Amino acid sequence: MNGQHRVEDLLREVAPQVLGALVRRCGQFDACEDAVQEALLAATVQWPVEGVPDRPRSWLLTVASRALVDAWRADSARRRRETVAAHDPTDYALAADPAGIPDADLPGADRDDTLVLLFLCCHPALSPPSQLALTLRAAGGLTTAQIAAAFLVPEATIAKRISRAKRRIRAAGARFGLPAQPQRTERLGVVLHVLYLIFNEGYTTSSGPALQRTDLIAEAIRLTRLLHRLLPGEAEVAGLLALMLFTDARGAARTDTDGRIVPLSDQQRELWDTAVIAEGQAILTRTLGTGPVGPYQLQAAIAALHDEAPTAGATDWPQILALYDVLTTVAPGPVVTLSRAVALAHVHGPRAGLALLGTLDTDERMAHTHRLEAVRAHLLEQAGDITAARHSYLRAAKITTSLPEQRYLELRAARLHQPAPLANPGD
Amino acid sequence: MKYLIMMFGGIGAATQDRSAEWIAGMHELLMKLDTELKESGECVASDALVDPSQAKTVRFINGAPVPTDGPFAEVKESLAGYWIVDVDEERALQIASRVVAYTEYPMEVRRIMDHSAQP
Repeated sequence: MNGQHRVEDLLREVAPQVLGALVRRCGQFDACEDAVQEALLAATVQWPVEGVPDRPRSWLLTVASRALVDAWRADSARRRRETVAAHDPTDYALAADPAGIPDADLPGADRDDTLVLLFLCCHPALSPPSQLALTLRAAGGLTTAQIAAAFLVPEATIAKRISRAKRRIRAAGARFGLPAQPQRTERLGVVLHVLYLIFNEGYTTSSGPALQRTDLIAEAIRLTRLLHRLLPGEAEVAGLLALMLFTDARGAARTDTDGRIVPLSDQQRELWDTAVIAEGQAILTRTLGTGPVGPYQLQAAIAALHDEAPTAGATDWPQILALYDVLTTVAPGPVVTLSRAVALAHVHGPRAGLALLGTLDTDERMAHTHRLEAVRAHLLEQAGDITAARHSYLRAAKITTSLPEQRYLELRAARLHQPAPLANPGD
Repeated sequence: MKYLIMMFGGIGAATQDRSAEWIAGMHELLMKLDTELKESGECVASDALVDPSQAKTVRFINGAPVPTDGPFAEVKESLAGYWIVDVDEERALQIASRVVAYTEYPMEVRRIMDHSAQP
C-alpha cells in the first residue's frame, strides 16, 4: 500500500514536468496531455510491479512520445484532408526520438515549464471551472476520477470539462510560453485566484465521515508553494501562500468529533498547527514591506493576527479592523464588508457592526447566501436583541445550502428560545 | 426490495418550540442513523434537502408552465430529507420508527417500483 502511494506521489510531481517538456517540443497541448495521461496510466500499472525506473521522467517521456506518434499516425489520414496550420514535420522526429531530450535538460527547464503550464491552464479563453479542472489535472497531476471526487461531480462531467478546455486552448492558438507583459501580471492574478478557489473548495466542503476524497487543501498549498519557489519576488504569491497556511493551520479545530461546526471564537486553539503558523509568519515577515501591499497579503496579515492570539479574547481586533479598512480600499466587496463588520463590532460594539451590515441589504451578491443573515444574527445576539437574533438565525438556517451550517444555526436559534412556562410548575 | 423513507418539515415549523438540547439530540440521532445505515450496507442513498421555503414550484398557469416561489405542499408537509434503503418492509418501518420515536412527527415509507416486468 505504501509503495503504491509513493508511486502516486512521484507521478504527480513528475507529470507536469513531462507534460511541459513534451509540449515545449511538440506543441499541441491537448494531444500531449492525452499522451501524458496514457504514460501515467502505464506507469501506475507497471511501476509497482517492475519497480520505479532509474530515470522516471525519461521513462514517462518515452512512453508519452510513443503514444503521441501513434495518435498522430492514426489521425494522419484525416489530417491530410484538413488544412494543417504550421505543422512542422520535425515535430514528428522529435517526438519519435525522446532520447534526443537528455534527462539533464529536464531539472532546469522543468521548473519553468510548470510555471508555463500553470499560466496556460488559466488561459482567459477558459471558464473558471475549466481553469480549476485543467490546473488540477495538468499542473497538479490529479486523475479525472480524483478531481471529480474532490468536487463531488460525476467523472464524466470532469472528463468533458477537461476535453473542452484543451480544445479551447488549442482553438485560442495559445503558445507554450509565458505571456508577455502586461498579460503576464494579469494572468498571474488569474492563477492566484484559481489556486485560491481550489483551496476554498477544499476548505469549505463538509468534513463529515471520512470519504475517499482528494485533499484539495493540500493540493492548493502544494501548487502555491511551487509558484512561490518559481516566483520568489512576487509578494502576492507569498501572501496567498501565507493566507492558505494560516487558514489550514486551524483545520483540526474547525469541526468537533461529530462533524459539527465550531466557530473561530470557540475553537480549541491547542489543536492549531503551530509549525504551519510559524511557516506562515516567516513568509509574511519576509514579504511585507517589499512592495505595495496587495489583497492576499492583507488577508494573510489578518489571518496571522487570529492565529497569533492565544485565546479568542486576546485577539487584536483594533489591528484587524485597521487592516480591513485598508482591504476595503484595495479590494472592496461584500464579503470584505461582512468581515469588516465583524471586526467593527468587536472594536466599537455590535450596533456599529449591524449598521454596516445594513449597507449590504440591497447588495444582490449577498441575496442568495446565508452569510449576511448569520453574521447579523450573531451581532443581534451580542447586542441583546434576542428575538431579532433568533429570527435571523432561523432565516439564515432556511437559506443555507450547507447541512452542517444549517444545524449549527438551528441550534443557535434554539438556544435563544425561551420555552413557554409550564402550566403547573409543581408537577 | 427498495424503500424510500421520507422525512418532512422545515426550519422553524415542526421543531420551533423544542429546546436546544432536544434539537442537538435530533441532529445526533440523524447522524448516527446515517452512519449505521451506510456501514450496514442497507443505505442505497440518503440526503437532506434545502429548506422548503427555498423551493420553487412550476405550476401550469394560464396555459403555460410558470415557476413560482415556494414548495408544492405546506412547509410542515414538505420533504426535508430521505433515505433509500435496500431492506424488507419490516426493517424499513423499523428504521422510520426509530426516528419517529424521537421526533414524534410522521415519516412516510414507500416501496420503490421495480423496473423489470413481472409475471
